[in-house]
Amino acid sequence: MKTNIIEAENLTKTYKKTVKAVDHISFSVEEGELFGFLGPNGAGKTTTIKMLTTLASVTEGKALVAGYDVGKDPGAVRKNIGIVPQELTADDELKGAENLLLSAKLHHVPNDAARKKAKELLELLELEGASHRQVKTFSGGMRRRLQLAMGLIHDPKILFLDEPTLGLDIQTRQNMWTYIRDLNREKGITVFMTTHYLEEADSLCDRIAIIDNGVIKLSGSPSELKAKLGGTILTLQLTDSVDISNMLSGIQDVTEVAKEGKTYKIKLTRTERALPAIVETVTKKGLKISDITLAKPTLDQVFLQITGNTMRDGATNGDSFGQRVLIERLK
Amino acid sequence: MFGDTLALTARSLKKWIRNPAAIMPGLFMAVFWLALFGSSFNPVNLVPTQIGGTALSPVLVGQIKSAIGSVFGGAANYITFLTAGIIAFIVIINMAYGGIDIVLDRQLGYLSSLLSAPISRASIFFSGALQNFVKAMFIALLTFLVALLIPNGLQLGSGFGVLNFLGVFTAFALVTFGFGCLFTSVAFSVKNVDSLVAIINFLAFPLVFMSSAMFPLGTFPSWLKDIAEVNPITKAAETARLLIVNGNLSSGQLSTFAGNMLYLAVFAVVLAAIGYLIARRALKAE
Repeated sequence: MKTNIIEAENLTKTYKKTVKAVDHISFSVEEGELFGFLGPNGAGKTTTIKMLTTLASVTEGKALVAGYDVGKDPGAVRKNIGIVPQELTADDELKGAENLLLSAKLHHVPNDAARKKAKELLELLELEGASHRQVKTFSGGMRRRLQLAMGLIHDPKILFLDEPTLGLDIQTRQNMWTYIRDLNREKGITVFMTTHYLEEADSLCDRIAIIDNGVIKLSGSPSELKAKLGGTILTLQLTDSVDISNMLSGIQDVTEVAKEGKTYKIKLTRTERALPAIVETVTKKGLKISDITLAKPTLDQVFLQITGNTMRDGATNGDSFGQRVLIERLK
Repeated sequence: MFGDTLALTARSLKKWIRNPAAIMPGLFMAVFWLALFGSSFNPVNLVPTQIGGTALSPVLVGQIKSAIGSVFGGAANYITFLTAGIIAFIVIINMAYGGIDIVLDRQLGYLSSLLSAPISRASIFFSGALQNFVKAMFIALLTFLVALLIPNGLQLGSGFGVLNFLGVFTAFALVTFGFGCLFTSVAFSVKNVDSLVAIINFLAFPLVFMSSAMFPLGTFPSWLKDIAEVNPITKAAETARLLIVNGNLSSGQLSTFAGNMLYLAVFAVVLAAIGYLIARRALKAE
């Protein structure tokens, strides 16, 4: 049985006794898992990471990271975690390799081991060529990769990634995903990441918790979450307006049928069984199909359904944004 | 802890060395204060040689000049008096404004990455103080050189040797480190550069003006003199002048020297402790 490497119980953060940034959240992350916190800006993702990485105190509840209480034993927690923060903290004036070795020193990695590990990471993240250049000459993607290397130099048990692809173009973002996936699958590092990109959570994470206004609304694997929407939606347009709703409803694996003019919206649980049966029914009736589309549920729909908000790249929920500004002021 | 402190200090100094322009403001300040401000004023030139068309006796004029000279600690000219004060001024200003880097480190998230690393909070604080200390002392050395190089500049007393030089810079080092720790703790406590500049301007200038850095204590009103006498900047400047003007110290001067150094050492240790306590509070988890 796998053990939980992160355990949070009623974890709460209140700033200045009034603003609840994180409100009694409980979750756990198994060793080796790639776990994602998904939510709009200001939902409480960064505050949660700050508590788990000892940067913010816990107002109520508790969290164990790598077996240590973040409030009582922050030193032990710090030894076991690597962090890639949202802000790029690599030093512009220093060279790539120098930044990496400084991180190693601050995590007390012996010099020889640090140099070996640095070489390995620079190779893995395809930064060898740039390691002797000052970071100010790096592109955005290179900075992110260097930051990732800095978070890994001391072989942490858990890697925290706060919005790891924020501001990157599609191509660079997908490269980052590959690195993160490889680190998790091949090196066995547990990853806790936050993101407000749905497709990122969908494509990377083993399990996701959806957080909004400081509360976890739903958690599970991406496919579980999508299944909760009731599966695939088939849109079927016929040439005739004869009503066959009842016949369609009778088909196994069809959960819902809605008709509008000549168009039917049909919810399916198992597409591979339902689709042939639907087509057969229509054909037997002597009807012709003028258009047919199949829509897999997306996390976007999940998010819309549970929070009542859409979550678009860059767009922020007004309240959430206000919340973030308020927290910054209160600090 | 020492390893971490040194690693972090080395990081800042590396950045500093790679940007030679960074020492220019300090150097300009040294040159302007000494060469322009220092040269424009020489107190003995205030003594008239005649009043209302009647010539004063050269003996009397000589006596007045030497009396004024003694108020200035026997310095051969104003620049010789002023050098110690300007060095003290420059190190204080450098330590104070050096805090800007620390505030920027906080704003850029660098400080967070240090706080989440398994290093002691003390090493974060002391590396902040140490990096600015090294920079300030380097500029202090440059200032001393500038004072020696300008025409009619700093005149060292006969017998001024390596020990005098070390004594002068130890006195400056102690006052610099002490105030440096205070300013560094302020830098760790504020969230933006504007607040830092407001606080350091409020602290740094009165500290310097309420000392004998620019003018001798003998000319001060008594209330200001009382404050200036216990000001560590006064102690450092007076100690440096003692060593610069006199070269070989008499036994009386040696005991003044020893007393001042003890005073400055205690001051440095106490402010390092206070600074650390303030910074530790500021570095706590938010």
